[in-house]
Amino acid sequence: MMHEIKNKPDYASLHVTLQQGEAVVAESGALMGMSGGVKMETSMKGGLFAAAKRALGGESVFLNTYTASADGQRCDFAPPTPGDMLHIPMSGNTVMVQRGSYVASSGTVTADAKWGGAKSFFAGEGLFMLKCTGQGDLWIGSYGAIAEHRVEGTYIVDTTHVVGFDDSLTYTVRKVGGMKSFFLSAEGLVVEFSGHGRVWFQTRSAPSLAGFLNPFRILVQKN
Amino acid sequence: MHIEVQHRPAYALAVVKLSAGETVVGEAGAMVSMDSHLRMETKAASKPDQGMMGALFSGLKRLVAGESFFQNRYTAEGRGGEVTFAPTLVGDIETYQLEGKALMLQSSSYLCSGPDVTVDTKWGGAKTFFGGEGLIMLKASGTGPIAFNSFGAIRRVAVDGEFTVDTGHLVAFEDTLKFTVGKFGESWKSFIFGGEGLVCKFRGTGTLFLQTRNPQAFGQLIGPLLPKRQS
Repeated sequence: MMHEIKNKPDYASLHVTLQQGEAVVAESGALMGMSGGVKMETSMKGGLFAAAKRALGGESVFLNTYTASADGQRCDFAPPTPGDMLHIPMSGNTVMVQRGSYVASSGTVTADAKWGGAKSFFAGEGLFMLKCTGQGDLWIGSYGAIAEHRVEGTYIVDTTHVVGFDDSLTYTVRKVGGMKSFFLSAEGLVVEFSGHGRVWFQTRSAPSLAGFLNPFRILVQKN
Repeated sequence: MHIEVQHRPAYALAVVKLSAGETVVGEAGAMVSMDSHLRMETKAASKPDQGMMGALFSGLKRLVAGESFFQNRYTAEGRGGEVTFAPTLVGDIETYQLEGKALMLQSSSYLCSGPDVTVDTKWGGAKTFFGGEGLIMLKASGTGPIAFNSFGAIRRVAVDGEFTVDTGHLVAFEDTLKFTVGKFGESWKSFIFGGEGLVCKFRGTGTLFLQTRNPQAFGQLIGPLLPKRQS
């Protein structure tokens, strides 16, 4: 299998070339195009329960598996937002990926939903993570650029900017500052990471864009 | 304090490195990440010598200007640290060193600044207000760095004489420039039907910064396509 991320960093896309029998798994909306010799299967990876949990996580219930029936078959994938993509080689390690940032994976890498805790859910900033583990490749996408920070100790990232992080880090979701800051600062919830490992965050936030556009919606009087 | 802009130009991120005890002030809501030992305080931004009422008043003015009522202060306690800021829209970030000369900023372009930079709201005049363009400017003065953001790319223009700018594309300009706000073209007919909004006519010598996209125009393109909201 050969793979390359093109059109970096603004409009990154993933281009995979498969040999006969090779397969790549992708988020169900991520396919841009594929060769005639690629067979797509919609599978509930990890079983029905895992699929249902992924649905809760805001990901599609189904991940699609693309398998080549001949050599030199091509599959192209793209994330939903303008921005960059990152390839993370997996060698039995575990990476947590924010919903919507997962694009594709290969080899034995599985994506399992993980509940981010009631606190982040009720704040409307649901931190739903996919637990990606196994051997092979993992590809993630971002809104904006992807910044990497190596945590040695503790580090804080706004929940809406989190893309993924090494499972070696522990994390808690909390607010920054005191209660006054929470209500008046316009900063929402943050994730505080502790330990040693990598954190990836995106330099733009989808909820922020929605917040900017909201006042431009046409206003109608309630009858 | 050092501000480094990374991931330019489309998805710029301001990375602020603080030494022990240093403070940076950021637009409320713009913080992306930070070292967890930084102390964050929410304050109505004010001049150091302002009392309680003065602070409240400048906060209110900023609210009118479309900026958040409060700015946040981030202080590296005990040891150095970093905090990063990003704007809402896609685009670039520019830094500028203030040394006595004031810089005028379109209110939504402010991102972060040093602790000795005062950011105050300046009324753009009734004409701009009624034009619906909301040209309300922030005046940044004092000493230290300031970072501001654009929708799209930032174009730097060295003005010597006269220069006319569509208000929706204005980001910032040095206070050495005088400006008047007016309609584009000669008649009100071209103002109403010509598709051009209000313009700023600059005169003098100084630098101004333009953004290559207009946030209002973008909002007006997408907003009507979204489900209506109820009052």
